Amino acid sequence: MLHGLKSYLVYSFGFLLVLEIMIAAAIYWWPTFEDNAQNIINIASRIPVLGGLATTVKEKGVSAYVYGQQYFKGCAALGTAACVLFAAPSVAGEVHRGTMEMWLARPVSRSRLFTERWLGGFAAIAVPVVLSSLSIAWMLPWVDDSMPLGDLALTSLHMVLFLAPIYAATFAWSSIGSEPMRISFVMLFLSVLAFAMYLVEAVTNYTPYRIVDIRVFLDIEATGRLDWRYYVPLTAATLAGYVVGLRSFLRRTP
Amino acid sequence: MTTSTAPHPGGARGANAPREGTILVRDLGHRFGDKTALEDGLELRVEAGGVVGLLGPNGSGKSTLMRLLVGLVPLERGAISVDGVQLEKDGLEVRRRVTYAPGELHLYGELTGEEHLRVLLRARPAAALRRARETAEELGLPLKRRVRGYSHGMKRQLVFAAAMAPSVRVRILDEISEGLDPAKRSQILDHIEHDAASGTTILLSSHHLGEVDRACQRIVFLSAGRIIADETAEAVRARAARVLKLRFPESADGEAVAAALQGADVETLSRENGVFRLVLEDEDPRPFLGRLAAAEGLPAPLSIEHGRLSLRELYRSLYGVEGT
Repeated sequence: MLHGLKSYLVYSFGFLLVLEIMIAAAIYWWPTFEDNAQNIINIASRIPVLGGLATTVKEKGVSAYVYGQQYFKGCAALGTAACVLFAAPSVAGEVHRGTMEMWLARPVSRSRLFTERWLGGFAAIAVPVVLSSLSIAWMLPWVDDSMPLGDLALTSLHMVLFLAPIYAATFAWSSIGSEPMRISFVMLFLSVLAFAMYLVEAVTNYTPYRIVDIRVFLDIEATGRLDWRYYVPLTAATLAGYVVGLRSFLRRTP
Repeated sequence: MTTSTAPHPGGARGANAPREGTILVRDLGHRFGDKTALEDGLELRVEAGGVVGLLGPNGSGKSTLMRLLVGLVPLERGAISVDGVQLEKDGLEVRRRVTYAPGELHLYGELTGEEHLRVLLRARPAAALRRARETAEELGLPLKRRVRGYSHGMKRQLVFAAAMAPSVRVRILDEISEGLDPAKRSQILDHIEHDAASGTTILLSSHHLGEVDRACQRIVFLSAGRIIADETAEAVRARAARVLKLRFPESADGEAVAAALQGADVETLSRENGVFRLVLEDEDPRPFLGRLAAAEGLPAPLSIEHGRLSLRELYRSLYGVEGT
């Protein structure tokens, strides 16, 4: 459970380390991928959605490859799990282990306790996503390629905005519930289901993972700004999750 | 953030205004769903300074009352003021002005004792942490060790050290002596008595009369969510001193023994599992014991206990209420 700056730093550093290892390995293998792009497309085309992704990477080059590896594969899959695993025990975990009473009895307002924990957990996810994305600009010269730092900053912000509602929804449920394992299990099941839907051509447009599709990041790169059609509803959903969670927390009894 | 004990602007004014260091409960009542935790109309006034014991068996409403006093449970009915601050107006200020030790011990096992004191004393002045360390060391707690390695009694003492550290006028200690060996319990009660002597108001709960009565000047008895008695500790001790328990051999004729025990010096007589429980008219048991010794045909008792009562026995003997 996350309580105190030390635990936030430990969890956040662990998440950052995993993301960095994944993207470093992906960048190391980029020349091999580029050389064998057509073969990969041929194999991936058995699943049309994957074939489309591979084709996009071949056409758009290193930036599409990086967006796929860092955001779609790394941050969307692992980031969702991190959101669920960091947020689910935040309040429900205190109730489950019986420490809620001790936590609330201190002379600190409930809204402050809630907001501190909410922001602490969210920062533990957002900071590694942004830092590992920015580090790509430093890694790409290993393979004689490059990407502007501004593009990476903007696209990582989009990634963070995607993760925020997942975190907020899980946190809101945690503020109502008392069984963190159940919350984690259900949220992870839903995210795996949504991820699987992405790969099925007939329903691929009905999954939230479309929001972190390679093409969306390429559009952000091309326009040089975030798309309001994404960031407005994502931000609204995050705020709604925060408010629902806070209101529940204010009424909770230990 | 500092722990202020100055008069609060949100506090009530006027002749009936609650004073600093007092605890006032008016027309309280609380339910958890269909279950009544505290019956409607509960009233309690604790004056500043001294130790008040809140006694009652498990489920009698002690912990609910204490949680209500610090705003951990939402107030459904009535009014509470603690240290001159009305809870419904400013619960946070109440929590600044009191310390609370929860009855149910659930700590963060992964933290050390020292880290735990920091967690418990968050938003308190640095001096509070220093005092808590001193108390913990005095109690012999290994503060560098993780709390998961602590015994139940050690955890209780850690919570106690934190609850006694801040400079406040009111302390609310739920089951603070539960699970402690007699030596540690005595040490803790010494701390409590010393603190109360300096003017602090301490509300202390327990479900064992013998655990806390030494420190209490007044004892409030709760049963099934209502206050059934509110007396000075001296009066309770005097009443408890009138209780005598006698065990006779199994072979003894119960009816004959009961008849022999009855007399003008016995207020009530009851029998359970071969033990006769008497409430005497007088605190001094010697006249009764003299009569007992002189009774003809009565077998010698196997044991005689005087003035030693469990809370359950006290409830039944003195208040006619089952302590469940």
